[in-house]
Amino acid sequence: MVATKRQRAAAALARTTGAEVDVIPEDAGIPVLPALQGLVPELRRGQAVEVDDAGVLALALLAGPSRAGSWCGVVRMPECGVAAASELGCDLDRLLLVDEPGDRWVDVTAALLEAVDVVLLRPPARPPTGVVRRLVALARKSGSALVVVGAWEGSSLRMQVESSSWSGIDQGHGRLRGRRAKVVAKGRLTGGRTRSSWLWLPGPDGSISSAELASVSSMQERLAARAATAGAGPAEGTDPAEVA
Amino acid sequence: MAPPRALVLWCPDWPLTAAGADPAVPAIVLTSGQVSACTAAARATGVRRGQRLRDAQRYCPDVMVLDEDPEGEARAFEQVVAVIEETCPRVEVVRPGLAAIPARGPSRYYGGEQVVGSMVRDAVLSQDFVCAVGVADGTFAANLAARAAFDDDGLRLVPSSSTAEFLAPHPVSVLEMPELTGVLVRLGIRTLGELAALPPRDVLARFGSEGAVAHRLATGQEARPPAARTADEDLSAHLEFGPPVEQSEPVVFAAKTLADQMHAKLAERGLACVRVEVEAGTADGETRSRLWRHDGLLSSLAVAERVRWQLDAWRTAGQLTGNLTHLRLAPDQVVIDTGRQMSLWGQSENDEQVARAATRIQVMLGHTAVTRPRLAGGRGPVERVVRVPWGDSVVPALPADRPWPGRVPQPSPSVVPPSPRPARVLDAVGAHVAVSGRSVVSAPPARLIVGKEEHAVTGWAGPWPVREYWWERSRRRRCARFQVSTDDGRAWLLAVEDGQWSVEAVYA
Repeated sequence: MVATKRQRAAAALARTTGAEVDVIPEDAGIPVLPALQGLVPELRRGQAVEVDDAGVLALALLAGPSRAGSWCGVVRMPECGVAAASELGCDLDRLLLVDEPGDRWVDVTAALLEAVDVVLLRPPARPPTGVVRRLVALARKSGSALVVVGAWEGSSLRMQVESSSWSGIDQGHGRLRGRRAKVVAKGRLTGGRTRSSWLWLPGPDGSISSAELASVSSMQERLAARAATAGAGPAEGTDPAEVA
Repeated sequence: MAPPRALVLWCPDWPLTAAGADPAVPAIVLTSGQVSACTAAARATGVRRGQRLRDAQRYCPDVMVLDEDPEGEARAFEQVVAVIEETCPRVEVVRPGLAAIPARGPSRYYGGEQVVGSMVRDAVLSQDFVCAVGVADGTFAANLAARAAFDDDGLRLVPSSSTAEFLAPHPVSVLEMPELTGVLVRLGIRTLGELAALPPRDVLARFGSEGAVAHRLATGQEARPPAARTADEDLSAHLEFGPPVEQSEPVVFAAKTLADQMHAKLAERGLACVRVEVEAGTADGETRSRLWRHDGLLSSLAVAERVRWQLDAWRTAGQLTGNLTHLRLAPDQVVIDTGRQMSLWGQSENDEQVARAATRIQVMLGHTAVTRPRLAGGRGPVERVVRVPWGDSVVPALPADRPWPGRVPQPSPSVVPPSPRPARVLDAVGAHVAVSGRSVVSAPPARLIVGKEEHAVTGWAGPWPVREYWWERSRRRRCARFQVSTDDGRAWLLAVEDGQWSVEAVYA
């Protein structure tokens, strides 16, 4: 492998100072949220990931890099739930929204790919093959990743929510607390195999965590604990002396 | 060394004049929530610059509120500049509403500063623009002279010998350096005279380069020492357009690059410019140029913005009709850059790239196309997010970090359409579900119909009544919210208002 400029500089620095220098190689992937690492260890620079729906899953893919300090762009998604993204861990200071680019969406996506690390795009129904190739080539050149809502030719991974159900809500009472969802990922990034994982997408505080059967009981404990503190609040507030 | 004589023409309350407001009607212009200009009538009631809208409305409840429109202001001021140019060339626009001219040449030609001053004043007054003219050593003193002249006959000459005397009684706040003058006032230094009396070396030691500039201005000198420079160095940046371009957008984008080049050339030599000259030429041989105040403070983006205002103004006035063939930015009156200290590790290269991309998209689609979201206060999901155009720094009117009782609880919905989508909610027998004024649901919801989709309801919660802004006729709202989960694994935030159901957000 040809050493990059940065690695050569690090090697030289290590020789002169005699100390090991931590260097992030330029082809390092883009981090994802810990809960998603069972499905996809990281996003690869210059590759596209398909997501079936413009929901929490798409926003969660932005949250990982955003938490790690990357800029993100969102194109053609005026309905993007910004508050949900913020609860997932997105840093809103490093988020750019282009809600309605009209027919300039290709140029806008190209401009963003050159500048930010991850672009979340919802393309029109059938993007022309030429456009798809051009954008992926641009992503490869500038080392950014593309997350696409809908179909995208040549994507390296396809993620979708296979089944899900909301909990915390009943006939006429309660409120939405969390959604347990089975997320499936398949593509080159997983070596062609299908990986699946149960996730809280999202959990009660808007973040995502594992919802495998082993951890479900702990989540129910968490819910119970929350309910207990909410219910016990005023009782704790009363003065014991007054009760006596 | 005394600065060269300058003539300053000041049009009071220009943002309002440009917007066509009558000075006799109370009106204000708002810039990011604060009053940035007000009419004489509004001032008479106690409204002042820098007040918040609420305070201004307390002084004057029926005040008319206008939004800031820098392009419109520049465009309208172009008429004034054109009138001055008939008398004197080399007009420098400090900002819309304030123009400066070097007084020496014209006063020799016409025979005295008094003559030039009254000619300029009368020419502008004849176009029905209220104005005042001041002549003094340097633009700072001339500007104050113009303001002093406004209550008088509209013309004030301050002779070279008495500039310091004239400046002395002015409060330090006229320096328009709020951070510095705040400290000065607390130290008991209230007027320019008191500041000028301090030894310059001590002012520099205590307040840095900003303090030194303030001291130089207070003693009637130029803000920065002029730089001696070899005459043959070309510091301008220049671009020819291969095929002449029609729209101003590509020109503005090019202007940003040109400004970068010009700033780089100046920075290499440790210089800054007081003014920047914008020159544009068209295919039919027309060339126009105009000076804009720079003072080493404008970013490349700010210079590009001024180019846009200027092109816009020329186009509207019909002075620059053909396709553009070249654009030139030239620094005018180069001075030694005494510097603004940039943070050492401040903006990373990456942030600069993002800024460039955002600007490029803004040039493509318009200023409001690229936004950065901010969380704001509110109960519904739409109200909770404000989209701020790139480059603007708008603080949401309602802070997010206050308790908003009745707010839709966490987790937040992931899909929030900009406007609610109409929906229908039916009960088990197919009748519409209604909610009474006392928040009683007619029957449990069983089916949800949105557009062509129809879903069976698996769980529901509500109604959560909302009654907002009952004191304000245009914003008042009374509705009830429901959370509903359906058999496709999604959940919905519904609102019912006047019997009509709508989808406010989707939990997907």
